Amino acid sequence: MQLAMTVFSVVLGVTIVLAIFGILIDRSAASDERNEGR
Amino acid sequence: MDPTHLHLLLNHVPTVGFGIGIALFALSLGTRSHHLKQASLVVFVIVALMSIPTYATGNAAQNLLQERGEVSDGTTEAMVTLTLIETHEGAAFLALGLMELTGALSWLALWQLRRRANISTGMSGGILLLSLVTMALMANAANIGGMINHPEIRGAEEVTTFAGHLGRTVGDYVRDTPWTWIAAETLHFVGLSMLVGVILLIDLRMLGFMPQLPFKALDRLLPWAMLGFALNVFTGMLFFAAAFGQYTNNPAFFWKLVFVLLAGFNTLYFTFDDTWAMEPGRDAPALSKAAAVGAMFFWVGVMYWGSMLPFIGNAF
Repeated sequence: MQLAMTVFSVVLGVTIVLAIFGILIDRSAASDERNEGR
Repeated sequence: MDPTHLHLLLNHVPTVGFGIGIALFALSLGTRSHHLKQASLVVFVIVALMSIPTYATGNAAQNLLQERGEVSDGTTEAMVTLTLIETHEGAAFLALGLMELTGALSWLALWQLRRRANISTGMSGGILLLSLVTMALMANAANIGGMINHPEIRGAEEVTTFAGHLGRTVGDYVRDTPWTWIAAETLHFVGLSMLVGVILLIDLRMLGFMPQLPFKALDRLLPWAMLGFALNVFTGMLFFAAAFGQYTNNPAFFWKLVFVLLAGFNTLYFTFDDTWAMEPGRDAPALSKAAAVGAMFFWVGVMYWGSMLPFIGNAF
């Protein structure tokens, strides 16, 4: 059970970090598109 | 040609290729040339891709030397020591990690360059700094690698670097602690889902499905695919370091690497594809459709050969 919790925590942690990177890149792209539209 | 020959052939690519990339990138910053910057970033991405088989074939060369009994325990000066090989492996492991990071950032910069006039000063500075550090680490790894093959430059003293035997340290840790392999395996599937999910959606749109979907909207998904690919490269490095013996003479692994490279070059082509600028409802050109079919074939190939590791080869 402890092994499953450790693996789950690590996978969740890395996935959240990855998602934050993805969101930051997407927000930057959205900002570029807004600037392009002006 | 066996993996050992491949290693001897490929091991010049990371240092020479990256050197060319850095020179072009520095020149592009000095001359403010958009095309030079693009060219240098493409070189960084290509070298980062080619560094993967360069690293993997290195362990195959080690296996061969050990099988032939040409690796000594350090008591005979004329022979290569396991310590020297593992020092080379450790330096290469660290350099490969940073090389892949530079490659991923370079791809992101290429993607941004297609969408706007220039990349930010922070991004340019980050790539320059990272590439210089990577170059220094890769040159150090190459220098130690040269000592393995050339006894004439091998000194009597033991060679050490601050990376130590990093490849073995990481590999042994992954092998000996149960959670790391399982977590890396799960993350490998997370990365695969992100990568193939986005690529398949883009390929289907290129082939004419869902014509109402604008290419510009799909373009925003590409960095998610790159994040998935980066995750898979790093988790893949952990598997390889932990149990390289089950990969180096495994034909399924060889073909998986071939398909990874083909799929990587295909993705690089798509980064420059003109279709991204097309209006919604328009049909993609024939060349883009052909590239989309190629992408599906290559990524399914990567998954197929990955799944075949235990069945065709000797993995697990």
